[in-house]
Amino acid sequence: MPTLETEVLVVGGGSTGAGVARDAAMRGFATILVERGDLATGTTGRFHGLLHSGGRYAVKDPVAARECVVENPILRRTAADCIEDTGGLFVSTRWDDPGFGDDFLRGCQATGIPVEEVPVAEVLRREPRLDQGITRAFAVPDANLDPWKLVSACTRSATEYGARILPYHRVLGLEVSDDKVVGARVHNEVAGDELEIRAELVINAAGAWAGQIANLAGCVVTVLPGKGIMIAMNHRLVNTVINRCKPPSDGDIIVPIRTVSVIGTTDVRVADPDELEVTPGEIDEMLDEGEKLVPGFREARALRVWAGARPLYTPDDVTDTRDVSRTHTVLDHAKRDGVEGFITITGGKTTTFRLMAEHAVDTACEKLGVNRRCRTHEEPLPGSEEERFYWLGARVRAQEPVPNSEEIICECELITRRQLTEAIARGRPAGLDDVRRRVRLAMGPCQGGFCIYRATGILHEFEHLDHQAANSALLDFLQERWKGVQPILHGDQLRQARLDDWIFQGLLAVEHLPE
Amino acid sequence: MTDARPRLADVGYDTVVIGAGLAGLTAALRLAEAGQRVAILAKGVGATHLAPPTIDVLGYANGPVDSPAQALPEFAAANPEHPYRQLSIELVRASLDWFKARLGDHGYRGGLDENFFVPTALGVAKPTALLPETMAAGDLREGGRFVFVGLRGLKDFFPAYLADNVAQTPLPGRASVTTRVVELAPPLGEARDVSSAGFARRFEQPAFRESVLTELRRNLVPGEIVGFPAVLGIGGAREVWRELETRLGHPVFEVPTLPPSVPGIRVYDTMTSALRRQGARLVIGSTVAGAETGNGRLEGVVAHTAGRPLTYRARSFVLATGGFASAGLELDSSGTVREPVFDLPVAGLPGQNAPLFEPGYFDEHALSRAGVAVDESRRPVDDEGAPVYENLHAAGATLAGAVPWREASGNGLSLASGYAAASAILEVIS
Repeated sequence: MPTLETEVLVVGGGSTGAGVARDAAMRGFATILVERGDLATGTTGRFHGLLHSGGRYAVKDPVAARECVVENPILRRTAADCIEDTGGLFVSTRWDDPGFGDDFLRGCQATGIPVEEVPVAEVLRREPRLDQGITRAFAVPDANLDPWKLVSACTRSATEYGARILPYHRVLGLEVSDDKVVGARVHNEVAGDELEIRAELVINAAGAWAGQIANLAGCVVTVLPGKGIMIAMNHRLVNTVINRCKPPSDGDIIVPIRTVSVIGTTDVRVADPDELEVTPGEIDEMLDEGEKLVPGFREARALRVWAGARPLYTPDDVTDTRDVSRTHTVLDHAKRDGVEGFITITGGKTTTFRLMAEHAVDTACEKLGVNRRCRTHEEPLPGSEEERFYWLGARVRAQEPVPNSEEIICECELITRRQLTEAIARGRPAGLDDVRRRVRLAMGPCQGGFCIYRATGILHEFEHLDHQAANSALLDFLQERWKGVQPILHGDQLRQARLDDWIFQGLLAVEHLPE
Repeated sequence: MTDARPRLADVGYDTVVIGAGLAGLTAALRLAEAGQRVAILAKGVGATHLAPPTIDVLGYANGPVDSPAQALPEFAAANPEHPYRQLSIELVRASLDWFKARLGDHGYRGGLDENFFVPTALGVAKPTALLPETMAAGDLREGGRFVFVGLRGLKDFFPAYLADNVAQTPLPGRASVTTRVVELAPPLGEARDVSSAGFARRFEQPAFRESVLTELRRNLVPGEIVGFPAVLGIGGAREVWRELETRLGHPVFEVPTLPPSVPGIRVYDTMTSALRRQGARLVIGSTVAGAETGNGRLEGVVAHTAGRPLTYRARSFVLATGGFASAGLELDSSGTVREPVFDLPVAGLPGQNAPLFEPGYFDEHALSRAGVAVDESRRPVDDEGAPVYENLHAAGATLAGAVPWREASGNGLSLASGYAAASAILEVIS
């Protein structure tokens, strides 16, 4: 079995793992990261895209709120290219207790969240689609955060500092010798072979799957996966993050991100983070709550629905996942379980991923007997050096100087052929779904109706695929897309989906591709 | 203040057809040819602009169909709610003959007895009953050496991928096919991204054809059959195609591409020109929303166009607004399916609270067969099987019971049911 040697092995390629790998590499550790699928496909790639101001936690979870207060400006400085500075509003609708506004204001002030009450008339001028019956509104520095860009920038930086990033490598087992974790046996999911990675320290950053990984070393870590569903609605129904000004509950936020508006979310304790069912009742609830913030929400086009699993670490038995703090925990299994060479970082949220990584690598330094300073709060991520926020019009602006100078492969998201091939080359082997996350391919209204045939043709040509590989890339994509669209199909989006059926099944006869 | 009350259209019509896809155009043209005064009201152009120009009668029924004429009886028996159950083979055959004659300039070939197998843009050998002359050399059943031509700047056609699949595709009679690709870089000026319609316009320019011919000629080996994306001109397609065949000295054929469908636009242009010659009135951009009824009959429909609503009175009406893709059927967020023009009863729905969709993309979905059920005179019926209006007929993808995108039966059903709706109206009159 081929063997790799490293100082630090990170398990998990979400924002936490990517942040840990970058931080460890920046502090001079030889680092390898393994992820069972593509990067940012677990919880990180399945959230609503909110960069928290802390407002959501101001009343109920002040510790989590304070962490957001610290991390929000750091990310605005170091990850500007992954952030669109939309600002955020907490609004009291006619369904909400007007008294909560005062609690909210006090909570913000107590935890240091910059907050300002805004006259309702001004809010309605700024966001004319909001319900006219709003009674109060508070502005906070919420923003949106592109999880795929974030993880991609972290792993790029980690690589520049010498780390190796291995997506599609699943951990089969942890090697434990004399009560010390000394490495891991991993399976290359693409090539199909096994690999041994020997490490001085294994950092378990598997998020909602952290309990499963800890179990491989005989440690019991209770992570309650809290299922949250999200629906992407076509267009920007609002241009500011809109929160309901009330205690956290289902469907209380709309995040405008890129070309869509995402409504979320729910919180249901589930047994297995890989089994996240979306029920018609949950969808109905989201649409009803959306209607309270933006009248006409039900008639807007719902593009796609998905569910993510929050990693809620709980030391004792807790039944309601919303009562678990959204802060994070570093577990040194030597102290906790008598297993050396192994730490777990879990809990937390994407907004605090950098801080989580810092704490995890601080513990790593301690265990490895070195003192090396964290610098991730100072050094911008690749692409964010100029501290310029992402701007929604960026892709249009890039095309404007010389119109028709490049082929636009995905018209919904304005992706050129060159951007597509660069995204394919960024991480091989790339499936169409991986490319989708890298450049937002097929994330617009037609959900790939036009661009996916093209992207398959380009993938076939650019990667020299044979017909079987190209065909299965296409068929896998169609099935994956169906999973995300079928629960919300109605209205104009059903019309779109049926046109796509006519294209793929009728015009192209995709069901009869040769084997 | 403007008066929002509907105004009456100047003249009364014999028949008003709602929808300008293949079903609506077919019904309208047949009635106009029979001397009727016909108006077509449509929200926009129909599926002709999206779909290939082939008439697929039945392409798949437990695998590819070699002969629709042989397969249809068994298919109809196995699918009692399918529209083909009510459309006799003789009628389907008559509709194909009628269509071939009307589209004479397109040189349509084929019939009900055997399917052609022509490559899709993915390289699947897809069965179809009728195809235009410009696609005929693409029939893979006899085998041969095929060259697929790529055009730089056309992102809707990937000849290398197509060719790889064609080479692997199982063919009836085990015909042997070899494939290869020639990529051309025709002169596009500054443009890098040209649509299929943009290429079609360029192919109608002699200088553009000349450069394509010059570049291609040196790359062909005698005996090869040459496949182009279906962008060989719009109005002048036949001449473009003939010139390519003659001057290359090779058989040339077209492969349909993603929408917009250039060869579908040719069908639409030919049929609408014929309608205008027959004196029919075609109003595109006109949404029908409202009806005047009396004594179980439809007296008129209210169309919303620019300006104020207009009532069109007629003796007969044809609903050919299409399925969900064309908004001829609608599903709202609470799960209710509606036919939006007349609020007709919708058949083929699963029971209350039963799921409309299954988890697998290629599963059989309960919603797929939803639509309007009709009687023998092609009239929409209620739950008891009684016609909703004595003089309203329906045709095309609005009909319940079919999964046409999957059966490869879309244009065949539209043509036959549009033809049948016209027959029913003419029978009543005679």
